Amino acid sequence: MEGREVPLEVLRQRESKWLDMLNNWDKWMAKKHKKIRLRCQKGIPPSLRGRAWQYLSGSKVKLEQNMGKFDELDLLTGDPKWLDVIERDLHRQFPFHEMFVSRGGHGQQDLFRVLKAYTLYRPEEGYCQAQAPIAAVLLMHMPAEQAFWCLVQICEKYLPGYYSEKLEAIQLDGQILFSLLHKVSPVAYKHLSKQKIDPILYMTEWFMCAFSRTLPWSSVLRVWDMFFCEGVKIIFRVGLVLLKHTLGSSDKLKSCQGQYETMERLRALSPKIMQEAFLVQEVRCWGPSAATLGCLWVGGAAPKRLG
Amino acid sequence: MEPRWQYQFRVIMLGDSTVGKSSLLQCYTEGVFLDTVNQTVGVDFYVQFVELEPGLQVKLQFWDTAGQERFRSVTRSYYRNSAGGMLLFDLTNRASFESIRQWHREVTDTIQPFRMVFLLVGHKSDLSGQRRVGQREAEKLAASLGVQYVETSAKDASNVVQAFQMLTVAIYQALQTGQLVATETWDGVKSSVPLPVLPKAQALEKKQKKCSC
Repeated sequence: MEGREVPLEVLRQRESKWLDMLNNWDKWMAKKHKKIRLRCQKGIPPSLRGRAWQYLSGSKVKLEQNMGKFDELDLLTGDPKWLDVIERDLHRQFPFHEMFVSRGGHGQQDLFRVLKAYTLYRPEEGYCQAQAPIAAVLLMHMPAEQAFWCLVQICEKYLPGYYSEKLEAIQLDGQILFSLLHKVSPVAYKHLSKQKIDPILYMTEWFMCAFSRTLPWSSVLRVWDMFFCEGVKIIFRVGLVLLKHTLGSSDKLKSCQGQYETMERLRALSPKIMQEAFLVQEVRCWGPSAATLGCLWVGGAAPKRLG
Repeated sequence: MEPRWQYQFRVIMLGDSTVGKSSLLQCYTEGVFLDTVNQTVGVDFYVQFVELEPGLQVKLQFWDTAGQERFRSVTRSYYRNSAGGMLLFDLTNRASFESIRQWHREVTDTIQPFRMVFLLVGHKSDLSGQRRVGQREAEKLAASLGVQYVETSAKDASNVVQAFQMLTVAIYQALQTGQLVATETWDGVKSSVPLPVLPKAQALEKKQKKCSC
């Protein structure tokens, strides 16, 4: 289904443009970052997506700097405390995807290797259940070693603190999302305040799994293309777009008066607003981005967080 | 349209990862059993209506929580606003049974001096060949915690309705006896009918009124 609307001719052109970028990456990053961003917004060609994500995230460089590290971690046994939880989650990630469909199949084995390696790489953080869908999406696009370093970049550079012990970062970002909503959609903000619906109740899975369990697949990929290029602000924007188009007018609120009805609505979002073309358009043409979300993004090659 | 209800009870699902909290809820509220259920990240919601007695409609509002320990920093704040707690363990997983005391203590410590009505549930009873927890010892644990015990299976739907019925009745009785007291500011119990005014609650209210100077 993915890329269905892109004519083959255009796709071929994009592929050759991306190949040129990937072959001259440092030059492009230094001089034409805006162009890279635009091309990420248009969608990375499926055939090059895995490679592009590694370049964009810096995981390619990270791997080169740490040659052999993954193999080293791969040989270690790991802490049984983490292995037990990881093993219980292996068959629960995208169980209908051909890669993960069979118990003990190569997809699930690689998922185990990547998640286990992370607990050895960052023993103080261990394993968080929300990391499994992230790692699974990566494994659909690249081999285990590459997926491992890409996961490291996500956990440490893109969403730092999201998966660690106290989950403080995700709670903080919940508050930030909510205060941004105040500016973006006062109606939705007022409604959620009135219903006493704490952001943590609806945004935890959205943010911790980078929407991989929320959106239709083609939208997940487009969001991740932009996320790898522009960082966490994309996650915020998607969250705000979804909230605004679900609860942003008195008309929309008619059918979700109570707290539970509202939660139900946020749990089963309208397919229309999650549809690839609509969602990407909304996220790209974000009006108040500079003012509202600028604070979340301090430019440059690697995504940085607040201040 | 939502059916008319006289009471709304909020129930929180507790227990280690993969004991089957979400499966049990899906079986109860949607009548389905799926072989693989996504691990819950954060909190999830379900609703079900039950008729406790003829004419007495209760809306059960379920808060399904992530089992992994680190999510407790997020889910802990929702203990207080729950009237009931389902303490789940997996009959085929000894460690999940051994965690029950800790779950119980964690909740009671967090909400004290207030109370919650618990039900101990031994889940996955269909896997009788792999059972690692005996019925007797589970009953003993339940007795020591002062709660009822039931064994369920979401896979063959055995005892699922009964388990939720038991907890609902227990919450209702706790309201009648004054063990639980519904108040304006507490979301654990909501009522569309006047609640029984108990001497104890009345005294407490008077006291509070006096103090609101």
